[in-house]
Amino acid sequence: MSYLTTHLGEIGTLTLQHVALVFSALAIALAIALPLGIAAARWRRFSSAILALLGILYAIPSLALLAVLVRYIGLGAAPVVIVLAIYAQFILVRNIAAALAGVSPAQIDAAVGVGMSSRQRLWRVELPLAFPVILGGVRLATVALIAIATLGGYVGAGGLGADIFFGLQRRYVEQTLAGSIPAALLAIAADALFRALERLAVRRTTG
Amino acid sequence: MKWSRADALGLIGAGLILPSCARGNSRAIRIGSKNFSENITVAEIYALALEHAGFQVERHMNLGSTQIATAAMQRGDIQLYPEYTGTGLIDVLHLPPMHDARAIFATIKREYERRYQLTWLSPAPGNNSQGLAMTQKAAAQYRVRTLSECSRAAPQLRLAAVPEFVARADALPGLQRFYGGFKFKSVRTFDIGLQYEALARGDADVATAFTTDARILADNLVVLADDRHFWPPYNIAPVVRLDALKSFGPSLRSALDNVSPGLTDSVLRRVNYDVDILKRDPAAVAAEFLH
Amino acid sequence: MRYPGADRNAVDGVTLEVPAGNFTVLLGPSGCGKSTLLRTVNRLVIPSAGAVFVGERNVAELEPTALRRGIGYVIQAVGLFSHMTVAQNIAIVPELLHWERERTRKRIDELLELVGLDAARYSARYPRQLSGGEQQRVGVARAIAAEPGILLMDEPFGAVDAIVRRALQEEILRIVRTLETTVLFVTHDVEEALRLADRIAILREGKLVQYDTPDRILAAPASAYVRQLFALEPDIEKFATLRAKLETQ
Repeated sequence: MSYLTTHLGEIGTLTLQHVALVFSALAIALAIALPLGIAAARWRRFSSAILALLGILYAIPSLALLAVLVRYIGLGAAPVVIVLAIYAQFILVRNIAAALAGVSPAQIDAAVGVGMSSRQRLWRVELPLAFPVILGGVRLATVALIAIATLGGYVGAGGLGADIFFGLQRRYVEQTLAGSIPAALLAIAADALFRALERLAVRRTTG
Repeated sequence: MKWSRADALGLIGAGLILPSCARGNSRAIRIGSKNFSENITVAEIYALALEHAGFQVERHMNLGSTQIATAAMQRGDIQLYPEYTGTGLIDVLHLPPMHDARAIFATIKREYERRYQLTWLSPAPGNNSQGLAMTQKAAAQYRVRTLSECSRAAPQLRLAAVPEFVARADALPGLQRFYGGFKFKSVRTFDIGLQYEALARGDADVATAFTTDARILADNLVVLADDRHFWPPYNIAPVVRLDALKSFGPSLRSALDNVSPGLTDSVLRRVNYDVDILKRDPAAVAAEFLH
Repeated sequence: MRYPGADRNAVDGVTLEVPAGNFTVLLGPSGCGKSTLLRTVNRLVIPSAGAVFVGERNVAELEPTALRRGIGYVIQAVGLFSHMTVAQNIAIVPELLHWERERTRKRIDELLELVGLDAARYSARYPRQLSGGEQQRVGVARAIAAEPGILLMDEPFGAVDAIVRRALQEEILRIVRTLETTVLFVTHDVEEALRLADRIAILREGKLVQYDTPDRILAAPASAYVRQLFALEPDIEKFATLRAKLETQ
């Protein structure tokens, strides 16, 4: 009778796949968003251009984007990870730029005054001080990606989306819950984890 | 430890490329499906039939849209999946609607082969098209069995419709132009699925339907015959890559050609009933069909 | 030298020669250009016209980061790096100059002692665990860590209470006398200027009004503005004697 009990192992696998999709996308997204965010914090004109571009990308319907990606790179995790990484840029770049802009002017003045080069200032002062705020952005991005990663169900990448969508289509509440409850728990867990990390980071960095 | 920029890029590249390389056994035929009950189950029926015929099968079910399935076919990630003739014509080829089943099939086969190096095998009689349904009682009472009869009886009938049926050119406005009449006594709109409830409660005499919906079987409804062929047919048929058809030999085609004639409207309704309403596993329903 | 959008030059036609080893105070109300003038020395501000020389060398021709590593810099907001411990903050310039680790470590202890903080207790603390006065002591220690010939101080004691300020003033005099550092010190506090300065440069609306030793300024104010500035203080005589006392200590 119960979908949950008869499909427990499968749900576990799907949950792990879901986590793998989210974290590989997050790692790639951060590697791209960090330089973009730093550039956006430095140059105002670049900032408005890149944020406008990311806004446009964010607005592309995910199914259409997925279809294009499947045409060129195939089914599986890759197209989903790319879509997730693109969507995450919208949150991360904006957040990283804002975090860097929020570093106290006195500390930046001091960093310049002691003779740090702009690269030293960035790595030794600005990024460490902006870190707790950036972590907050990573938290938001992670929670969003956990929701968006259900797209994996559309292109054979696994994850919890398959159960959610098929369950919805045939109005099978238990199957939908079998996908959406683990997804919700993942989101709650990720949120709590990053909040704890943020508190730790704040304690380390604020004077 | 220090990472060069090239290392980092290489790693990211590998992360993206590896999963898509994981195509597995090249001797297996890769079967896909879209993500709704009927399509999944028919794909399972194809898969089981091919396994019975001695093929190895790799399944990629639940693809999220016609566009995704078509893209995966073009790239070769899947080599075979069930599609509807009307969908191929209108949603994939973007050609104007046609009403003759044979003409449609000739067109989509020709254009798929020319544009995509994909082809269509013989379609099943099962046709998942738009339609109108009535209870047995109302159909008998008003003597309505066809859309022509319905167009004339409409002023006595109350229609329960899904919202887009009222507005879309290929729905009510088109019916009125094509058949004439169809001036219903009243038209009320419902969320998808709830139009059947209205019919069951007696709040309506006619409901919009898809012709293979499980509820037609569950509620023992009469689907009115589209006697002048207004709606393009949506017969279900295997779409196959031309190269796969060649490399897997004639037994691929014959195995599928053996299956399709059995997939009638009433069989598809039974399939949908088992999966949608009884919540059975598509693979189990498919296996039962083949026995 | 003018800021964008300003209707006058922040600093205008100032010529000032500061003798090496001297404690020079730039005095004036807020907005008079004294901080801007100070910041031209380590190229945090680049003059639109004119030049700043350190010794024989025009700072415009020096590499800014190298120049700044050779000049101590203390600001009112302290600007201690809040993610670094006291020891890490003090070690910044020595590290930028690639000192040996052991030398830096010894220097930190030495400096903490010099600014009156117990090295064992304070090294590993974070700035937020310090009082305002303690933070400013660390700020001074950081500024002089690599034994700069020049120390720039921009209202460094503006944010601490009067008693702590008095103590810090005495400390800084003692320290710079020991090290024979050339100090440029910005303040709007007349008492502080009198207490510390070998020479005072009085600025008003970007222009240099008078530049002389405190005694001579008190004896012969160059204008009504200067007279008024010092007359605001109730008992100038008292400061003169207090200064004399400090000198003899």
